[in-house]
Amino acid sequence: MSTPLTVTPGQGPDGAPLLTVAGEIDMSNTAALADAIGGTAGPLVLDLTAVEYLDSAGLNVLFAHADHITLIANPLLESLLTISGLAELATVHYREPGASMAG
Amino acid sequence: MTHWDGAEHEPRTAAGHEVFAADDEVGRDLATVDWSLTPLGPPAGWPQSLQTAVSILLSSRFSMWMAWGPELTFFCNAAYRRDTLGRKYPWALGRPASEVWAEIWDDIGPRIDTVLATAKATWDEALLLFLERSGYPEETYHTFSYSPLRDDAGAVVGMLCVVSEDTERVVGERRMATLRDLGSDPSVVRTEQEMLAFACRQLGRNPHDLPFTLTYLFDDGGGARLAGATGISAGHPAAPASLAPGDPDGAWPAAALARGESVLVPLEGAPFADLPSGEWPDPPAQALVVPLLQQGSAPYGFLVAALNRYRPLDDGYRGFVELAAGHVAAGIASARSYQAQQRRAEELAELDRAKTVFFSNISHEFRTPLTLIMGPVEELRGRLQDADVEVREELEAIRRNGLRLGKLVNTLLDFSRLEAGRMQARYEPVDLAAVTAELASLFRSAIDKAGLEFHVDCPPLDERVYIDRGMWEKVVLNLLSNALKFTFEGSIGVAVRREGAHAVVTVTDTGVGIPAEEVPRLFERFHRIENARSRSNEGSGIGLALVQELVALHGGTIAADSADGEGTRFTIRLPFGSAHLPAEAITTAAGSGAASATAAPYVQEALRWLPADTAADPAEDAMEMPSHGALAGPAAPARVLVADDNADMREYLVRLLKGAGYQVATASDGRQALDAIRADVPDLVVSDVMMPRLDGLSLVGALRADPRTAAVPVLLLSARAGQEASIEGLQAGADDYLVKPFAAAELLARVRANMEMARLRHHQARWRTALVDSLQEAFFVCDENGAVVDINSGFTDILGYGPENLPYLPVHPWWPDAEIDPEAHQQAADAFTGLLGDGQGSYTIPLAHRDGHRLWVSATVNRAQDPDTGRRVVVGTFRDVTAEHYAIQRESALASLSTCLSQAASLPEALAGALRELRDLWRARSVVAAVFGHGAEPTLTATDPALDWRRLPAERRETLTGLRQRPLLTPVADPTGVGVLLEHPDGPLALFVDLGDHRPFTGEDQLLLSLLASHLAQGLARAHQIDQQRETAIALQRAILGPSRLPDGFAVRYEPATRPLEVGGDWYDTITLPGGRIGIVVGDCVGRGVQAAAVMGQLRSACRALLLQDESPARTLMALDQFAAGVPGAVCTTVFCGVLDPDTGHLTYSSAGHPPGILTHPDGTTHLLEDGRSVPLAVRRTRPRPEGETTIPARATLMLYTDGLVERRRRPLDVGIGLASRAVQDGRDVAVNDLAAQVMTRLAPADGFDDDVALLLYRHPAPLEVTFPAESSQLAPVRKALRTWLAQCDLPAQMIQNILVAAGEACANAIEHGHRHSPGETVRLRAEAFVDVLRLTVADTGRWKSPQPEANPHRGRGVALMRALMQQVTITPSPYGTTVDMHTRIAR
Repeated sequence: MSTPLTVTPGQGPDGAPLLTVAGEIDMSNTAALADAIGGTAGPLVLDLTAVEYLDSAGLNVLFAHADHITLIANPLLESLLTISGLAELATVHYREPGASMAG
Repeated sequence: MTHWDGAEHEPRTAAGHEVFAADDEVGRDLATVDWSLTPLGPPAGWPQSLQTAVSILLSSRFSMWMAWGPELTFFCNAAYRRDTLGRKYPWALGRPASEVWAEIWDDIGPRIDTVLATAKATWDEALLLFLERSGYPEETYHTFSYSPLRDDAGAVVGMLCVVSEDTERVVGERRMATLRDLGSDPSVVRTEQEMLAFACRQLGRNPHDLPFTLTYLFDDGGGARLAGATGISAGHPAAPASLAPGDPDGAWPAAALARGESVLVPLEGAPFADLPSGEWPDPPAQALVVPLLQQGSAPYGFLVAALNRYRPLDDGYRGFVELAAGHVAAGIASARSYQAQQRRAEELAELDRAKTVFFSNISHEFRTPLTLIMGPVEELRGRLQDADVEVREELEAIRRNGLRLGKLVNTLLDFSRLEAGRMQARYEPVDLAAVTAELASLFRSAIDKAGLEFHVDCPPLDERVYIDRGMWEKVVLNLLSNALKFTFEGSIGVAVRREGAHAVVTVTDTGVGIPAEEVPRLFERFHRIENARSRSNEGSGIGLALVQELVALHGGTIAADSADGEGTRFTIRLPFGSAHLPAEAITTAAGSGAASATAAPYVQEALRWLPADTAADPAEDAMEMPSHGALAGPAAPARVLVADDNADMREYLVRLLKGAGYQVATASDGRQALDAIRADVPDLVVSDVMMPRLDGLSLVGALRADPRTAAVPVLLLSARAGQEASIEGLQAGADDYLVKPFAAAELLARVRANMEMARLRHHQARWRTALVDSLQEAFFVCDENGAVVDINSGFTDILGYGPENLPYLPVHPWWPDAEIDPEAHQQAADAFTGLLGDGQGSYTIPLAHRDGHRLWVSATVNRAQDPDTGRRVVVGTFRDVTAEHYAIQRESALASLSTCLSQAASLPEALAGALRELRDLWRARSVVAAVFGHGAEPTLTATDPALDWRRLPAERRETLTGLRQRPLLTPVADPTGVGVLLEHPDGPLALFVDLGDHRPFTGEDQLLLSLLASHLAQGLARAHQIDQQRETAIALQRAILGPSRLPDGFAVRYEPATRPLEVGGDWYDTITLPGGRIGIVVGDCVGRGVQAAAVMGQLRSACRALLLQDESPARTLMALDQFAAGVPGAVCTTVFCGVLDPDTGHLTYSSAGHPPGILTHPDGTTHLLEDGRSVPLAVRRTRPRPEGETTIPARATLMLYTDGLVERRRRPLDVGIGLASRAVQDGRDVAVNDLAAQVMTRLAPADGFDDDVALLLYRHPAPLEVTFPAESSQLAPVRKALRTWLAQCDLPAQMIQNILVAAGEACANAIEHGHRHSPGETVRLRAEAFVDVLRLTVADTGRWKSPQPEANPHRGRGVALMRALMQQVTITPSPYGTTVDMHTRIAR
């Protein structure tokens, strides 16, 4: 019933909790995203470089955790994150998909 | 629920049912079939080949079905379900094909067997199949191909049928052919019977749509008679030869039809047993009976059209029957109008023949030789008095016959004068009894000699009757002469008496009588009763006609009663008093009583009929008549005018001179004498010298001064004796002088001597005068000042001005009035100036008769010298050419009106043109025409285009409205102009010619207007008929022109040529090919009219079929070459044929001599599709056709067209192509359908296209349209579709992202808010790319529970995002749903 979305927990290079999200985020699957973020306490890195689509439903989830997440996003999402104001609340890094996280 | 979202399958359908996934609905229904009951088993076990076949079937948008396996199990797709299967869906799915199509299995079963046996595909074009898809066997046509389907092992186990339904086209073409044939009557004129026979032949050629027809025409009694039948024998009970009026049991409801209503009659019951079935297995079940409508009147009759029971009676069928009836009605109308015209023409010709005979007889050539015969004869009689008897008898014979001829010519001249309105009557009050009795007495001797009794019963009447003596004499003498001619024994009677307000004169005889059937024609001109016994076979047959005319001039009537063998009674009734006569022709003075001169020829002629022994010397008898006295000598007695103021003296002189055989007139003074002499010059004047007002000497002076009277001998009488007095008189110019008292013998001797002298002296002059007077033409002499000083009697006849008022000084009174008709006045003045200037020449000019009526004369003048005075004069003649002039005017006016009517392209144009013609013809100020049609106020057409009914002055509106009460085609004049009422196809038409103030509108003008109005009415009816036929043809052409449903992204237009408005051979077509590609065809057949349209229809169908078989444009055109070679009129057709992949914009194309397509890029540059060009169809067939290809870039526009769009006279083609490209560039932000309209408008010439135009536009990519259920699971697939489409639009990645988010937000809104309480309702997303703008619309059909979406903080963020990402966002909530409309500009 929902849009394909995978959320893979892991650890960043600095050892901080990392959620790698791939697919598209819309109102049909925000619950899964919210659950994944909600299950992690403290600072969290969300790697959204493989997210091709994000709408206000997804943004709403991100806003709820804006104070403790860092986003790594596809530059295509930049205008969306800027316009919505999320970029002001959360730290956002932009990276082309496929580029090495370590790089 | 099966959607194209693969993530969502239910477990039940997941097992093997992917095979049905390609189509939502049919797939769903296929999935519910219990396949285990079929030989195919459950889908999970189906071989790959079957699965592939089913999947291809379902994904195709082209109509297909297939059969598989031993029972040929039936599958079909959505298109087939919609187009063909009808009510059999979904029952048919999974059943044996032979069961599904049991009713046509005989047709298709063998075909399928062939495919299965040979593995070769079949091809059938427009095959007739009776499908029971709508609850009855329906006539349908299908073009289809069966191709083999193989299983995984390669064995043929089934077949696939690709089918397109041609029913509309086949039926439409069939009906169109009938209408075309009905309207293409090759003969110009026909009788009603021939016309009906022709129409029946055409109706009978379509036994499909018209299994049988009956044409009934109403007769005068309200009944109807059978006038034509097709497909049914005349003796059939359903085709009675006549229908009685008001018979409720009649086979057909004639009464309703007479009211103009159409009736649908079920063909049940007695008269309808054993009906013929036309081309069908079963007889028709219904008949549509439609009236044969007549403009402005009850229907002519009605047409019974039995209906094809295998087709529904839809608008098209009903329209076809009505149009066919319209053709029949129009044919009847034209046949009847032709018949009426023919009758009128024959009547006119009859009249014309009579006229021709008449006029050919009265040429003045008659009178001239007569004059030249009778003059010398009189002289010879005098000279040969002593010659022997034989010579004298022969001379008498010459003289008598000369008189007869003279009488005949004079009678004819009387007619000529009557005809021309130049009979100058002078009505004086007389005692009718006395005058009539005196005339009768002239005949007494002849009647006595014939041995008949003569009863004259003429007691004096107590009141006077006004008659013209000359005319009355002719009336009585003709009747008496007639009576004598036909009566052999018994009596002749003349009686006069009073009956009320009339004097009644009867002339009766006991003669041979007149057969009853001849009585009505008795007074007809030149009509003679054949084989009647009479005293003479001579006779012109005009005597009684003349009598009737003359009596009519007196306001009287004449009637004849007769019985064969029992005699005849003529009864003349004349009113008393003068109120019925024209005032100017009435005189109170009693005129001369001498009737003898007129009577002599009648009496002499009558005497010649009698046996010789009773009329030994007719001449002597004639001379014995009272007023002739005993004078033997000249037949015409010499005329003497006596002028004396003394009545005793006057009477003495009269007695004396009359006694000597002279004809004497008197005058009581010199002035009176002068007037009398000028009016009618006597042979001699005897005048007293001493007279009041003008004395004798002055009279002589005045006579000598006037060239007309200068030669009259004058004998002066005076009481004054003496040499001086005598010399004075002779010096004044008198011929002789006699002193009172004088001896009677001396006076007579002097008179005789002077007369002889004058005769000798003026012999030649008299001959000249006689000759001039004998001219039928008006003759005149003008002096050098332009004064008319001499005229002949013809002049008086033609213009009404007599010699009594000579000279006529310029401006001559016969010039048209300068005030009333300045133009005609000027024409006369110009001619007169020319006449005085060169003194010779010829003119045709308008003149005014003394009584005011307009004449046209041909004037010829010549300069001459007066031999007596040596003065230069101008002599001339006027020939009356009024009749010719008006005939020419009529002819040319009719010709120019006809030209104008025939060139008009429509009814309003015909009327407007005709009004201009009328205005020019009469140089009118304006001409207006009001049609009183169905509207509240009349429709006005005027020579001033700005004028309408409301702006018309109130008086004019009243005049026009008032005209409606007048009879048709009867002009009504008022001081400002003249109006006439005629028939217009929409209702009565009142026409008014505004001539300006005081312009004369003569009787001839009225006749002409009436003629032109009748001509105009016919012309308008014809134009109306042509309009209707054209509309029919265009409607039919549109019906067979292009597909009713266009693929997305396309727009088309067709426009027929404006002048002449005609259908043509241009077409466009789009064909969705299996696999999703789209065939595009634009073509142009040579020629115009229905013929070209029919060729176009065939080529279009063929090209469609060919493209479906082979998607190569070049090969399609090559196959079309072959097809076109066999279709008359198809050679040289130009065609553009292309195949487009709508996903990539890739286009392959080939052009058969067609103008290049124009590709307009988003940046405004254009590119012509000039590759793949070759010759038009079927011109040369050997070489393969080339193919071009191109890729239509995103947001580019492809334009295909026919040459009518861009080709103009005197303009290079590339200019037109440039203009067309510019029009497309300028429409960059316009939807493609609106762009098509813009292009047509911009390129249309001011007065419309002069050739037909087909236009096809495609903008790539086609708009995206997605409809999906309002469920969040749909968001991803919709997004995917939109992403794919946006990629086709060639947009930057960021922009695509922004649009996706904005669209996603709008869709999410629709799902979340629009359908919170009713999930599953549909949401529609539409995306359309213009050149610089992209437009997105998301609409839902549900109700927004929350009127302000912004109130929800979450969704509020969504709306804000939409507004931020797109340049313009409009949200329109309504009770029926909410629409979000978003635009964004595309950066160049």
